[in-house]
Amino acid sequence: MTEVLIVGAGLTGLFASLLVAERGNAVTLVAQGRGGLELSHGCIDIWGRATPSRALSRLRKSHPYRLAGTAALHAALEFFEEITQQAEYPFPGSISRNLHLPTALGAIHPTALAPQSLAQGDLFDGTPFTLAGIDNLRDFYPQLAASNLRRAGIAVQSVLDLPIPLDDTRHDFYTSDLAHLFDKSNWREEVARVWKPQLIGIKRLGLPAVLGLRDPQHVLEDLQERLGLTLFEIPTLPPSLPGLRLEVILRRRALNTGVHFIEGPRVVGRIDGRSDGRRVSGVVLQTVGGPRVHTADVVILATGGILNGGLVFQQDGRVQESVFDLPVNYDQGRGYWTTTSPLDSQPYSGYGLLVNDLMQPLDAKGAPIFENLYVAGGLLGGADRTMEGSRQGIDLATAYRAVEVALG
Amino acid sequence: MPVLSTQLLVIGGGSTGLGVAWDACLRGLKVVLVEQGDLGQGTSGRYHGLLHSGGRYVISDPTSACDCAVENRVLRQIVPHTIEDTGGLFLATPTDPIDFPDRWFAACQELGVSAEEITTAEALRLEPALNPRISRVFRVQDGSLDSFDLLHTLTAEIKRAGGQVWLRHRVEKLILNGNTIVAAEIRALDTDELLTIGADFFVNATGPWAGQVASLADIKVPIALGKGSMVAMATRPIHTVINRCRPSSDGDIIVPVGTVAVLGTTDVEVQQPTDTTIEPWEVDFLLAQGEILVPQLAYQRPLRAWAGVRPLYRPTTGELGETRELPRSQIILDHADRDGLQGLISVFSGKLTIFRLMAEQVMDLVCKQMNIAAVCHTAETPLTMTSRSFYKLPDRLAKLEVTTSHDLPQVVCECELVTRLAIEEALRFASTLDLDEVRRELRLGMGPCQAGFCAFRAAGIAHELAPTAPASGGLTPFLEERWRGMVPLGWGHTLRQMELTRRIYLELLQTHSLPEPTK
Repeated sequence: MTEVLIVGAGLTGLFASLLVAERGNAVTLVAQGRGGLELSHGCIDIWGRATPSRALSRLRKSHPYRLAGTAALHAALEFFEEITQQAEYPFPGSISRNLHLPTALGAIHPTALAPQSLAQGDLFDGTPFTLAGIDNLRDFYPQLAASNLRRAGIAVQSVLDLPIPLDDTRHDFYTSDLAHLFDKSNWREEVARVWKPQLIGIKRLGLPAVLGLRDPQHVLEDLQERLGLTLFEIPTLPPSLPGLRLEVILRRRALNTGVHFIEGPRVVGRIDGRSDGRRVSGVVLQTVGGPRVHTADVVILATGGILNGGLVFQQDGRVQESVFDLPVNYDQGRGYWTTTSPLDSQPYSGYGLLVNDLMQPLDAKGAPIFENLYVAGGLLGGADRTMEGSRQGIDLATAYRAVEVALG
Repeated sequence: MPVLSTQLLVIGGGSTGLGVAWDACLRGLKVVLVEQGDLGQGTSGRYHGLLHSGGRYVISDPTSACDCAVENRVLRQIVPHTIEDTGGLFLATPTDPIDFPDRWFAACQELGVSAEEITTAEALRLEPALNPRISRVFRVQDGSLDSFDLLHTLTAEIKRAGGQVWLRHRVEKLILNGNTIVAAEIRALDTDELLTIGADFFVNATGPWAGQVASLADIKVPIALGKGSMVAMATRPIHTVINRCRPSSDGDIIVPVGTVAVLGTTDVEVQQPTDTTIEPWEVDFLLAQGEILVPQLAYQRPLRAWAGVRPLYRPTTGELGETRELPRSQIILDHADRDGLQGLISVFSGKLTIFRLMAEQVMDLVCKQMNIAAVCHTAETPLTMTSRSFYKLPDRLAKLEVTTSHDLPQVVCECELVTRLAIEEALRFASTLDLDEVRRELRLGMGPCQAGFCAFRAAGIAHELAPTAPASGGLTPFLEERWRGMVPLGWGHTLRQMELTRRIYLELLQTHSLPEPTK
């Protein structure tokens, strides 16, 4: 049995840990923080700019998709669908045709797989829809979303504001406040009673994503039945409920399948002195009680890019990998990293580690640095995930490939 | 082409121009002020926030020092709601010239600039975050002054007195009759219409644009442009203005303003008034200098950087790059006297602290030339909004906390505690959907997340108030403006914050795929 250590608890790290556990291996997941799922829309973007299955074969060879390979992507998606099916939070969609979902701003989000409550908002579905805001929720403005959708030529039947049937008159709600309320069946009953008279003649209704956190599929089906229409959700500002739900599902399964979690300490890589530096022996955890060594046969780095701490951009113009100080592919000098508009592609987005098709980090000469260290997810360079619309697809495919190689 | 006439046309809506217009109103003149952008978009809105005690100039520029000392007291009387009385300290560190503090202190006493030496122990008791290795400390009467509050107050006051303030109107031509300026041709930038304003007298108060405006009348104004960069830290480790007690140089001041501390400044000669690009070395330098005064700044997050362009006077053509050496005192050019052109005065250079005095001197000259006997009343006329107290974040928090749970207002900008109600009021008052205008009024989006969360909400609220306006037209420019201030600090936590903004606006909201706003 191979002892596997995974660093990072985002989509990549959690998914990799499930893959390892699935194959009956011991796996420890160490993480300093929580990863970026709650900041995300909770869908699986594979390739936003074109039909994913067609676009991927034309990428340059250093792109993470090419390195992981199409087979890994397909196998990863299959396992992902299995996980979400079993968690009763299914993700309809396919790699051969993107869904087109409305965002809270009324822009169009092309994505391959989405949780059912989001997928039901596909803009090319043909069923007319109404958008509704919820009074006193600060993160959803249905008029704005509808105006922008209409500007793009998409028909929005009507726009509504729905009340919150609460006795006290709070004026300020976050999506997570409402999600906890929607988890309760007596709350849904009351909501349906108050809302139903306002929804006459509406077949499909779009709401901000607030329909439950613990058992969202049940909340969706229950509320649809009570209201007698199709509901869809639109993800809002972080904390984004669909992202949180996915995190809950992956963590729940990880705990149930015996993944050992160590969360909180900073992690520093440790090299095996007996192997002439060709192998890593594990990591050192900077715990409150002092440094603690954790050894493993295989280490998978899934620490993410700049946002999650895998890459550290320094004032002196250098970019460092935070655990093993692995070489990073980047332009030296702060002046090169950003452009003048946040909506443009940013050079820093493409920085990261260079790896071979075994997901092993490479040195300047293109040779693998360690035999038993693998990298997956946001830490990899060579892709501008934001502009490509490829973030979650890369996370899943590279995690799959890294585990597949590591376990032989 | 529509033609209007007035007695005085003031060009430029910064502190100097608004000060001149206000002074003129109090003297009973009919005034129109035109500004090509919004209030304070030039140098007045791009400064470090310091209300000078005068201490900075006692050695290099004694006249300015005296003027600052006097005007500091005047402004505390007439616009107290724009001023936070932070007080100031001048610190000598072990690396500064050892004889300077004594010379400096003597000059303060001679010029009437209030200064008092305190022990370093007392200074560290007042401000525990100071470098413990400081050798001498003097207390002065510095403060911080919110220039946007000042400009908004002046504008309201001018309008109340019957004057007019036209924003987004650019002077394109000065029309001469013989050797007298009689009218200006002005373009309304919102509608692209041209109109002509005839006036008896014209004041060019356009700061770094003074040379360009004067050239419309074929006059050369010897102006040098000194770009000064500043960095705001995300926290406020000191609550007193901290000055370095040494000859004036780059990076010698920290001003606590609102929720941040501003590190100032550099001085680099530039060619254009709009040339406010910040070089990486400027930021590195300011941070390094700031750490000498307050060591813990090394561990704090820089929030935002910006640069203003000082309009300085350089009568002879000197070498480039020496703008630090040029005097900071106000320059008033009487073009009748100097160029034989009647009806135009240019005013520039000076400091925001002495804007009222500059206006008084300009209007004395204008009245003399127009044969008007009116005298200045600005020094003893408090502005009407003085009943309002200086804005502080804790005051907003206290207000939110006393509200009962039955009436909890919706907080749209968590960093600066801006409520939905306040935004709605500001949008109605400003009769604009420009979120940047709302920002200047309410500090929306000026906290640690730099509008990452509130920009979307504010765009949603603005759209509800004006559903016919182009949807989210104001969102992109607002995000881009906030981004520009972070780019020079794009490393470490600030770059992570920038990436979070991109995750939200590009991946979650897909802002970049919206159709172009239609006009």
